[in-house]
Amino acid sequence: MKNTLVAALLTLATMCAWAQHAQHQPRAQLASSVAFAPDGTLWLAGLNAQGELFVQSAPANGLTHWGAPRTLVSQGEAISADGENRPKLAFGPKGWVVVSYTQPLAKPYTGMIRMLRSADGGKTFSAPFTVHTDRQEITHRFESIAFDADGVLHTLWVDKRDMELAPKVGKKSSYRGAAIYRNASTDGGATFGPDIKLADNSCECCRIALATGADGGLRAMWRHVFEPNVRDHGVAVLTPLSSEDGHIVPAAQVVRATFDEWAIDACPHHGPGLAAATDGGFHAVWFGIRKQGGKDEAAVRYGRLKADGSPILESVRALPDERAEHADVLAWGTRVAVVWRSVDGARTTLKAWLSGDGGQTFRLHTLGKITGDNDHPRLAQQGARMVAVWRNANEVQVHELKF
Amino acid sequence: MNSSFNPRRRALLAATFAMPIATMAMTAEGIAEPTPPAFKSVETFTASTWRQLLAKGPRPAAYVFTNTFCATCPEVFELLQQTLADAGPKANPVLLAAIMMDAQGDRALAHARHYVGATRLYAFDGFEPAIRQAIDPKWRNVTPYVVLVGRGGATQRMTGPPSAKQLKDWLA
Repeated sequence: MKNTLVAALLTLATMCAWAQHAQHQPRAQLASSVAFAPDGTLWLAGLNAQGELFVQSAPANGLTHWGAPRTLVSQGEAISADGENRPKLAFGPKGWVVVSYTQPLAKPYTGMIRMLRSADGGKTFSAPFTVHTDRQEITHRFESIAFDADGVLHTLWVDKRDMELAPKVGKKSSYRGAAIYRNASTDGGATFGPDIKLADNSCECCRIALATGADGGLRAMWRHVFEPNVRDHGVAVLTPLSSEDGHIVPAAQVVRATFDEWAIDACPHHGPGLAAATDGGFHAVWFGIRKQGGKDEAAVRYGRLKADGSPILESVRALPDERAEHADVLAWGTRVAVVWRSVDGARTTLKAWLSGDGGQTFRLHTLGKITGDNDHPRLAQQGARMVAVWRNANEVQVHELKF
Repeated sequence: MNSSFNPRRRALLAATFAMPIATMAMTAEGIAEPTPPAFKSVETFTASTWRQLLAKGPRPAAYVFTNTFCATCPEVFELLQQTLADAGPKANPVLLAAIMMDAQGDRALAHARHYVGATRLYAFDGFEPAIRQAIDPKWRNVTPYVVLVGRGGATQRMTGPPSAKQLKDWLA
């Protein structure tokens, strides 16, 4: 008995030593965002090796010549920059620039949406502040930001305040998924209106896509949880908020945008992309698994949406790459660009699918290849100029798209 | 049992036997009540780790691949833990591993309390998609991704919670 006990203790000691030895340095968080400034400068926001929030920019006539990174004040707080949770930046009128991110809290799956603002074109930034009114230690994550045509700043995020309040069935909440909440700022992020629910029953950890419609108003597209557990996508119009008279804006009407009929109790971690089309509708990309011929067919798909967000089903097709991940889409006139990364073991290829006829036909291009850690590619646009930006552990590549 | 037992594998198996016992407390009703394991560190997980675990790892075993933002993942652990509790002593010992794909060190440890019943905690070390494809080339980062390894080495793979039949086959 004594020998057995000694052997067990020695075994546990060996295990502890082995486990300690195996502990490694955290990986770099490469997830970043890009946007053109009004003067044509290309900006990037991300985290450096120390986990600090930084911005850097490249001149309009030399987009591959990145300037020195500028670390922004972030009070040493944690910032999410993994996968689809990444710092964002947006340029508005009057020299307004905002940078947002999710600050993960100590309790798992919780966070706050934080923002820094500039009123001088990005020369200086404020200290970070929390965007939403609700301050519970719950999920406020996966934010998206954009200025609409009137210069109103919209912030949307995945929020679980309704799930927290819902009655439980056994150990599980009776609430399906999470919710999409939003607020708006008419002064470039100096002040914000109330938190307003856009939609119940969103998926819990996928990015939210935003695009400006032909009417100048924003549309949001997100992965939704349709009854009972179908993780397709919804689209809603961001109607103007009117809270001055105390009127509560009702949740928007959710229009179903995809019909993969993917029923699963799991997290796809793969949100959609959305871009306005010339006819008032939209171009969309998304990931889903659908049954075809009795088999599960996983694919990133492209499709056209009508102005109300409903799909033009005959336009839906899979990207020509079964390894495609996290596609992004932009459009200008009849030009449509879809970019994605394709991982084959250690090697990753950056691919672009370009259309000159409004998405009727596409041509496949390979823009780059790399071995090692890298981010999903991001598209940025200023008028007809479109670039694909791809960050890896060593550099930030910029690929000008030629149609 | 393999006579060419190396010390590393000996330690792994010993912990596999010991930790479920250490992490299960009997309540007054006699029902096994799981308590979170006191993980103090995280083991690294690479494509090589996976090959070794599949070839020479303990059986039965359940590997649950998860990440810091997968809110549907803890439910799978609850299901696996309940399955083992229902099966009683004849099912044990079982390796029940949580593998964090997007965080290492303290960030991974912070999520350990969600993986009730886990006997091992790993974290990806390397380019996440490359490791993921080494596990399953067709796996598209949907989590929880679960691999159940039966006593005879038969594997079942699924995204989301295993079905009742899959759980029954696992422990058969």
